[in-house]
Order: sequence, then structure tokens, then C-alpha cells
Amino acid sequence: MANISKKEVEHIAELARIRIGEKEKDKLTEDLGAILGYIDKLKEVNTEGIEPVSNIAGLESVFRKDEKPLRPQEEKTRQIIDQAPEIKDGYVKVKSVFEGK
Amino acid sequence: MSDIDYTIKSINGGLKRGEFSIEEIFKEHIKKIKKENPKLNAYLSVFDYKKPEHEEGMLAGVPCAIKDNILIEGEKCTAASKILKDYIAPYDATVISKLKDAGAVFLGKTNLDEFAMGSTTENSAFGPTLNPHDHGRVTGGSSGGSAAAVAAGLAVYALGTDTGGSIRNPASLCGVVGLKPTYGLVSRSGLIAMASSLDQAGPLTKNVEDAAIVLNAIAGHDPMDSTSVSSARKLPDYSANLNKPIEDFKVAVPKEFFSEGLDGQVNDLIQKSIAKLESLGAHIDEVSLPMADYALAVYYIITPAEVSANLARYDGIKYGYSAHKKAKSLLDVYLDSRAEGLGEEVRRRIMLGTYTLSSGYYDAYYKKAQKVRTLIKQDFHKIFEKYDIIVGPTMPTPAPKFGELDNPLAQYLADIYTAGVNIAGLPAISVPCGFAKVDGHDLPVGFQIIGEHFGEEKILQVAHALESH
Repeated sequence: MANISKKEVEHIAELARIRIGEKEKDKLTEDLGAILGYIDKLKEVNTEGIEPVSNIAGLESVFRKDEKPLRPQEEKTRQIIDQAPEIKDGYVKVKSVFEGK
Repeated sequence: MSDIDYTIKSINGGLKRGEFSIEEIFKEHIKKIKKENPKLNAYLSVFDYKKPEHEEGMLAGVPCAIKDNILIEGEKCTAASKILKDYIAPYDATVISKLKDAGAVFLGKTNLDEFAMGSTTENSAFGPTLNPHDHGRVTGGSSGGSAAAVAAGLAVYALGTDTGGSIRNPASLCGVVGLKPTYGLVSRSGLIAMASSLDQAGPLTKNVEDAAIVLNAIAGHDPMDSTSVSSARKLPDYSANLNKPIEDFKVAVPKEFFSEGLDGQVNDLIQKSIAKLESLGAHIDEVSLPMADYALAVYYIITPAEVSANLARYDGIKYGYSAHKKAKSLLDVYLDSRAEGLGEEVRRRIMLGTYTLSSGYYDAYYKKAQKVRTLIKQDFHKIFEKYDIIVGPTMPTPAPKFGELDNPLAQYLADIYTAGVNIAGLPAISVPCGFAKVDGHDLPVGFQIIGEHFGEEKILQVAHALESH
């Protein structure tokens, strides 16, 4: 059943950008192991020469003209930026990413 | 007439005859919500009265509820997540614009499993919704608030979303009609994305006719959704065929839908409905969907994979809950905002999806699942070459008790009859077919009717025939 290791769980959490504690690490290793054990039954299915689905209703790529957006964006910009947790001078503020200064 | 019996048609009639005004019928519903919602927890927010933009048509002035993962401009949209607790929607989802054009009046936003991830509505960050038929039991999910609101007469109809059964499942467990349209028939623009190749919005209603009326209003091409139905396709009036006889309809009953996990009382009620279809002149055959057993495994690869990509946007920077005040670095903002803002099941699915999409596993999981998906689709198509509809149970059991499905896999198995329909992009409806007696309570059971792509007319017609005989 457990076909995922604790070390792999740590690595995945890092990729997913989610901090996990020791206790949760154990629980996730167990839960993900059980779910992966279940979905492993797909290995029984022969899919040689079968194309993967791209759009289930058979639709193909859709393009629109490179012109004015469909929703009026200008008036929304302020409203959207205002919802950011940290704002400075009308911009979204993030922590500095370079060391020093 | 009691308010539980209000339908779209009866409200429309009452308004026309001047028995009540739009504002009066709205306030009557709000009064009932204020009284009953503190216990049921079907609504996460309730609105003030706003005069509808139009007052003509079947939906004009009819009070409805909206699942809280669908945007209404200027109103909170939480997706039942702590990370979006104070988020205000900056625009209307296309389904909301369409309902506004039809004169709809919105009562409020309904509870769901966080980001629509779950089968019981127990995963809401704001507490579960209680099943109106037995307060010790779940509503099903993830559109549990919408189903409970309609079942308890706290809304005339509601919108939900269905990614692996999230409309049909709670419709079945709460005893209302739930319709999941063909993938692409209803625009996804303005729905908070869960799994983009599966998500679809649809109505939960008190009867089949109402489901057809709401579908008429919300279906159609939308330039804002690149996967929506082509504008060249002419869509029918979904109410037109409801009363036509179903004589000579060819009905397929897959034997895989009656496997060991199916509850005995549910099975009896489903068999009775099948017998009723036969008595109405339909031809019934047992068929096989050999790939049905793999649909759920495909679903639990594709969904978490798309979830992990779609939910990367919740980072504590752009909007929603943020841990920036205590975080020392940018990385800490990401790690802590997501750890604290997202619930357990959501984090689990993001982790699972990140794993199956990660380098070295993509071919073995996601690509393999998309290939099996092709086989599942072919399976259904083979049946629809000979048959008009496929029928069976919506859910394997009546509503479980709170905490009864106590591990992730047990919850996932509740989707066993519904998820395949999303995998194949097909339309399906759950229609009430009777009650199971459990511990002295009458618990509703739903009958599922599956159609071919864009085959909504037929499934509505059959559902209506079952309902009215």
C-alpha cells in the first residue's frame, strides 16, 4: 500500500509550497499511499495505441482576435489590486527576494 | 400553498395574478432563512433585496440561491475556504449575468465542501450543512448547501457545480432534482476553478420542469470560456418535449452499477423506477460498461492534478488570507499562507496532484489516466449507438451520518456512479425516486439518467415521465 515515502512527501510539500508538520507528514504518507494504491489499478488497463483525451466534448482550440478584452478591465484593476494583502503606492507589495540591503 | 411547494411556475403564476409582489416573495424566503438557517447552515451569506433588472419571463422575480464558488459582482465569494473568507467578487460569472438578464433575484450564497472538494459538505471551513430530512446526516456534496436550501424551501431553485457528482449527489441525498449538463453547455467563466476539464454548473430544483427552465436560461456559447459549446450549435427549448411519451425509448442498465457496495433499499427503489419506465413503454436491456470500474481511479488522478495547478494562485500575495505579517521571507509567505488558509482535504489533493504531475510520474499517472479516459468515453459511446439513455442509482446509499465516511478513500467511493459521467463529459440528471427507511427516518433516494453529449432533452423527458407517473 505505502508506495510513497516520507521523504517523497516532504519533497512534494516543498514543490506544492505548503508547510507541513511532523504529524501531518505521517498522516499524508499514509493517506496518499492508500489513494495511490487505489489508483494503481489503472495499470491493469491496456492503453497501447490509445490517444489521450484533450477535450472531452471534441472541441478544438479556440482563438479570439487580439483586440480589446471582453470584460472592461481598466475599471476593475483598482478593485482587484485593493484586495491584495499588502499594497504600496497602488502596487502589490511582496517581500524582497535578494539578500542584503 | 406552503413555501416548500413553491416552484418557478407557481411563483411566476402568483406574480402574474398579483397574489404577491417580487419583494414580498423574496422577503418571505429571507424570513424563513433567518429562522431555519442558523441550524441547517445551508447559506454562508444572505443578501438584501435588490429589484431585478427585468420583470418578464419565467425566472423573473423568482428567488434563487447560488453555490458560493460562483461569482456575483460586489458580493463575497468564499468557496467555503478560509483562504477566501473576505474575498469580494470583482465581476459576475456568465451564469449570473444570464440569470440577471432573465430577471432572477438572489437570496444568498450556499455552503459547499471547500473549493467543491468533497462528497458530504463536511469539508466546509464554515461547518457542515445539515440534511433537512435528518439533522444527524450529511447533505451529500459538494453542492450540499444548494440542495438543502431547495429541499427545505429556503430557495425556489439553486445553482450548483458538478465535477464528479457534486450536483447529483446532494440532489439524491436531499430529495431534489439535480442536473449536470454536458461539458461545455454552460459557461465556466466566473466559477472558481477546481478541475477545469470536468467542472460544469447546473440547476438544483424542486421538479424536472424547473430544471429545464433554468437550463434554458444558462446554456449557450460564451466567448469568455474557450471550452464552451460552439456558437454554431442551435440549442433546443429544453421544456418543449417534457410531456411527450417515452414509448419505445431504448434504456440501458449497466450491470456494473449494481455491484456489491449498493444498499438493498436503494436497489429496490431503482428497480421499481426501471419497472415504471418499462410500464410506460420503454425497452429495458442489461448492458456492460467494462471500463466503469476504472472511472473513479481516473477521476482521482485527473482531478487532483488539475486542482494542484488551479490552486497555485492562492499564494498569500494577490488576494485572500495571507501570513505575510509574521513571515520572514517570500517563501514563508507562500508556505504559511497555504498551510493555514487551505483545509486538510484541499491540501491533500494539491499534494496528490503535485505528485502525479511531478517529473518521472506524469506518463504513469496523468497521461495514463487521459488514455483510460478515452476508453471510458468509447464505452459510453458504444452504448449510445443502440440506446437513448443509461439509467441506474445516483448514490450507492442514502445519506450517511456525520463522520461516517471517515477516511479520504471512503468519501471518494461515494462518487462511484457519478464520476464516470464527468470523465466522459456527458449530461446526467438525478431525480427523486422514493425513500429508504433508516432509523425511523425517511431518507430520499435519487435515480440517475445519463444521456449522450448534448442529449439533455431526452434525459429531462424521461425524468419528467418518471416524476409524473
